[in-house]
Amino acid sequence: MSSVPGQMHRAHRPGGMSTPTGWHVVARLLPMVILALFAALALGAWVGLWATGWREISGPAWAGPSLDHWFGTNQIGQDVLARSLQSIAAAFEVGLIVGLGAAVLGLLVGALAGYFQGRWVDELLLWLTGCFESIPYYLLMGAVLFALDGISGALQLAMILSFWPAVARVVRIRVVVLRSEGYITAARVSGSHPLRIVRRHVIPHLYDITLVQVTLLFVAAIKTEVVLSFIGLTGSDSISFGRMLAEAAQDLLAGQYQNFAAASVLLFLLVWSLNRFGDELQVALDPRRPGPPLRRRLDLI
Amino acid sequence: MTSNASMVGLLLRRLGGAVPLLVGVTLIGFLLTQQIGPDPVWELAGRSPTPAELTALEAQLDRDRGGVGRYLDFMAGLLRLDPGSSLITGESVRSIVGRSVPVTLALMLPGLILGVGLALALGYLAARHRGRRLDRWIAGVSALSMSVSLVIVVMLLQLVFSVWLGWFPARGWSAATFTDWLLHATVPTLIVVLVNLGYNVRFFRALWLEALQLPSVRAARAYGLSERKILLRRLLPWAFGPIMTRLIFAVPMLLLGGSMVIETHFGIPGVGRVFYNAVLSGDQPVILALVVLTGSLVVLSQVLVEVGVRWFDPRAGTR
Amino acid sequence: MPVSPGIRGQRVIGREWALVTLGFRTRGLALMRKQGTVQWAWIGLLVVLLIGCNSDSSNPQAPVKVYRHAIDGAPSSLDPAQANNTYARLLVPAIFDTLYRYKYLERPYALTPSLAVGFPDVSDDGLIHEITIRSDARFADSPYFEAGRGRRVTALDVAWSIARHFDPASRSGATWLWRDRIVGLEFGRAIRPETLDVAGLEVLDETSLRIHLREPFPTLVHTLATAQSAVVPHEVVEALGVEFGRSPVGSGPFRLIAFDETQATLVRNENFQRGVIDLAAEGYDSDEHAGLGIEPIDGQLYPLIDRLEVQFIPEASARWNSFRSRLGTDLVMLPPELAPSVLSHSSPLRFQEEIARRYHTQATPEAGFVYYGLNFGNPELGHHNDPDQAARNRELRCALGQAVDWSARNLRFYHGIGERFTGVIPPMLPSWDGFLAPDPFDPELARQRWAQAGWTTTTLPNLVYGYQSGVQQAQHFEMFRANLIEAGYPADRIEQKVFPTFAELLRGIYRGEIDVFLMGWTMAYPDALYNLQLFYGPNAPPGVNASRYRNPRFDALFERARRELDPDRRIGLYRELNEQIVEDCVIMGSMVRTRLHLWKRHVHMVPDREIIGGFFLPFVDVEARTTR
Repeated sequence: MSSVPGQMHRAHRPGGMSTPTGWHVVARLLPMVILALFAALALGAWVGLWATGWREISGPAWAGPSLDHWFGTNQIGQDVLARSLQSIAAAFEVGLIVGLGAAVLGLLVGALAGYFQGRWVDELLLWLTGCFESIPYYLLMGAVLFALDGISGALQLAMILSFWPAVARVVRIRVVVLRSEGYITAARVSGSHPLRIVRRHVIPHLYDITLVQVTLLFVAAIKTEVVLSFIGLTGSDSISFGRMLAEAAQDLLAGQYQNFAAASVLLFLLVWSLNRFGDELQVALDPRRPGPPLRRRLDLI
Repeated sequence: MTSNASMVGLLLRRLGGAVPLLVGVTLIGFLLTQQIGPDPVWELAGRSPTPAELTALEAQLDRDRGGVGRYLDFMAGLLRLDPGSSLITGESVRSIVGRSVPVTLALMLPGLILGVGLALALGYLAARHRGRRLDRWIAGVSALSMSVSLVIVVMLLQLVFSVWLGWFPARGWSAATFTDWLLHATVPTLIVVLVNLGYNVRFFRALWLEALQLPSVRAARAYGLSERKILLRRLLPWAFGPIMTRLIFAVPMLLLGGSMVIETHFGIPGVGRVFYNAVLSGDQPVILALVVLTGSLVVLSQVLVEVGVRWFDPRAGTR
Repeated sequence: MPVSPGIRGQRVIGREWALVTLGFRTRGLALMRKQGTVQWAWIGLLVVLLIGCNSDSSNPQAPVKVYRHAIDGAPSSLDPAQANNTYARLLVPAIFDTLYRYKYLERPYALTPSLAVGFPDVSDDGLIHEITIRSDARFADSPYFEAGRGRRVTALDVAWSIARHFDPASRSGATWLWRDRIVGLEFGRAIRPETLDVAGLEVLDETSLRIHLREPFPTLVHTLATAQSAVVPHEVVEALGVEFGRSPVGSGPFRLIAFDETQATLVRNENFQRGVIDLAAEGYDSDEHAGLGIEPIDGQLYPLIDRLEVQFIPEASARWNSFRSRLGTDLVMLPPELAPSVLSHSSPLRFQEEIARRYHTQATPEAGFVYYGLNFGNPELGHHNDPDQAARNRELRCALGQAVDWSARNLRFYHGIGERFTGVIPPMLPSWDGFLAPDPFDPELARQRWAQAGWTTTTLPNLVYGYQSGVQQAQHFEMFRANLIEAGYPADRIEQKVFPTFAELLRGIYRGEIDVFLMGWTMAYPDALYNLQLFYGPNAPPGVNASRYRNPRFDALFERARRELDPDRRIGLYRELNEQIVEDCVIMGSMVRTRLHLWKRHVHMVPDREIIGGFFLPFVDVEARTTR
């Protein structure tokens, strides 16, 4: 491979694209369109516009796709399309709740820890972060499930408790760097209360990485929910992709693919478009790439 | 030299800092299983116990004592390196951990190492040809890998390799011979590699991009050094630290829960599955012991990494 | 789990790695060269480690007979005191001896002496049973015996093995087998083998034992054929304590050499000498048992196999895949989802030709049944002091029973091969009256029935349906809900409560939190009393009477039946008790599932998962081949 200076220049373009041809535009827009579609479907299902009959036994067992049931039916005759739409809504629900919850919690802890770096507050919060990092998520899950004893929200709470340490660590590093900025020092010198400084000067600068974290957590929550539902550790009574896949594991034995096809394709599209959305978000939030390598690294992560 | 002494001092300080972490972890674990976990008494009670038998079982399992006493007992046992026995099966926890941790390691480490190796290679290619077609293809593949669900990959690969092709056993575990181990570990290794590829490629691509910008690398290129020499002499040594860091940190994550789905589906008696069963049945000694183990590993990896950093470059200062 | 490393790993690494880049930035060439050698050393070490896990075992030269069995769950302990589940029932009889066992081939199931010699000598009033045991039974070798060699099994061992269930230290789940039956055997005190001071277990000499009962106990011999009654050596139990369940030592045909969550491995016990197999005595019938290849085992010493591997595979797909893959198990209990691809007809049941050609097949009803239980502690559903209200409750229960569609369940979950019946005496038992009641399913009639009894959509009670988390269980609930809604039950009065494990479900029942539950009941021995005890008042939770049914007339009849020594009169009493249950609409049910088994052609046996459990294992024959 030759090392022509021209290549260096190309490497510096934001997003790494060479020339925006039509194909590239489509490739970049497609995930957004898909995501928007999924969000609309989820909203409609959540509000009750469609897929309300996901529990009803409305057809013969294991029917193939037909005009009555676009995706066919499952083992006891429930409509797979309705269940898929409800699963999308459930995925959005869990992703939003966990993403926002863990991000907010991590943001607060990370900001405080970073601002008071080196002092006892930092040590304490770091200790807490380390503790929660070391506890396996399904222990938390199991314990919270038993504690809440059937109240929905156990799943989300356990995931929030499991994911917040990662956010806190990222935020903390950023805040440590931020602390040495001019306006922070000025505020400190002017005698403002530390918490006020954190609230007014530190946290607003963290919105961008927090937002990125939310998108990452959204995906993580959906994928974790699939695993937990699949192994049966949810206590949830409603439908989700994990439950559809658990049903699919039985169905596959009988040679029935409705659940498997619907759940895996839809789940894949949803996660893929969310990932692409997250990438675009990162690029959009930091158009100064490539900047100093350290910042670039943090933003990429 | 002083650097050695300070290294030892650093090591001791860091390890000393691990103690509060372990205490915190066990405390949380203890509270979780004591107050709000399942009741192992019901797991053990037979078909038709009388209230008297239930009371006796509770006494047997020590559940009629106060929480503080039991916690202190457990910690004392830990110091003696005696974490007790499983409440449900009676097997000593040391024996359980001793036979299941090596299984999980033998199961997951190949996938981890192979995955990282493959991702290193792909990331390097992507970084070298940044912006060009190869980079985009690799980015596409890693996007695919990040979007696929572990559950689906497990079901599919078991179907393809064990049933349709019949090359590998559908489940079970044996590491008695090298061939046995290969037979049983290959499909799980594939799964681990596939599922983590996207994240790893991303990470290493960024790493290589950074490395390629190094002044020493640019200089070497200007002097006309061959690609391979640049890679071996400049890039790899520089990247070695971060790579090792990532590898080392991945191990406790593995034991923490990375292997559970694979072990359950493939019937492998590893630590993930043991832990999962213990959580469901409220087997407190096992849960606590494993939590302590993973907590220690997390701390150990942090210490290893920091010491490694210092060793490679003593000038890397404080945080 | 991909997410964790992706998120957490990266995050944690981010911090450290940032420092690393700072450090590496300013390195010199010399240092880099030093890195080079170090890094190759690392890589070399890794390679050596990977290759190093290579401990070649010598290839076995002689052909070894190995049988690989698979069951759908794992026993947590192999101590007979905790052998109250189907999985332990397979392994415990292989490792231990029981006084009696069931004949290998005869159906209906017939008892035959195993460790005992002949059936017990019973006194006229039925209160004293004298049992003689063999003098040539030895325990397997174990370092806990003198000189490591297994010693003879004595009558004292037998007595202690029964008595120890009542010692709290053994954590036994089987006291109910002999509770309040044997004189002087009460729960709550330590029982030492040296001073076995239980009046009802009289050890006469090394091989004779006399059991004194409080009242006649017709099913005593059945209880002495259960896995829980297996004979254990006290030295080993005392030495190992709770660990005995993981490293059991017994006098049975096999001995355990490995045991974990996924597999148990057993080998032939050299100290087990019981002579040769007498196929005719075991109930061989040339019509029924033709084509299975078991004739050659007649006259051979048993156990016939050298090595037994039992795999615990709860996931149906994994079980099936393992059976089909070349390197997997030799037998599979077919998950019901596979029935369509393996059967050509469901009634009468016939396997596909291809399957029948490739494998041995078997379709047997389970020794048990499934039913919906109702909580009689709920005043709107069960018992009530006011007789009018109690009558209305009864009408509601019966109406609910008519709303449940068992045929649809049979079709959708069991491919139509299950068998529906009414009550709690399934057709396989001799006390079944032979009368198959028609399917009561009729949603319209159900609605009319509870309307006539005075229930309206505003007064119908709130039903809490409890189940263990899992796909099938959830599907059962959704069917139940749909059935009731079809009959006009208000949808918002049907609640569900999900429990993470079965033990938690039982605890929920114990606490009275559940009104309706689907229960599968498996019989430990083939006698209807075993099922009728589900409704005996004193068995209320924490006992097996999850329904909390309390009917003094039923209880009195039950106690009579329990003592009745005359078989015909006893059967009559069983039928009366069953009628009482049906009349009172205590349960909604029931259905017997049909178990489908397939096994590979090189294995010659008649397996039975139900009553026989592990008693068939010593008679399994495998065509010898070298192990892989």
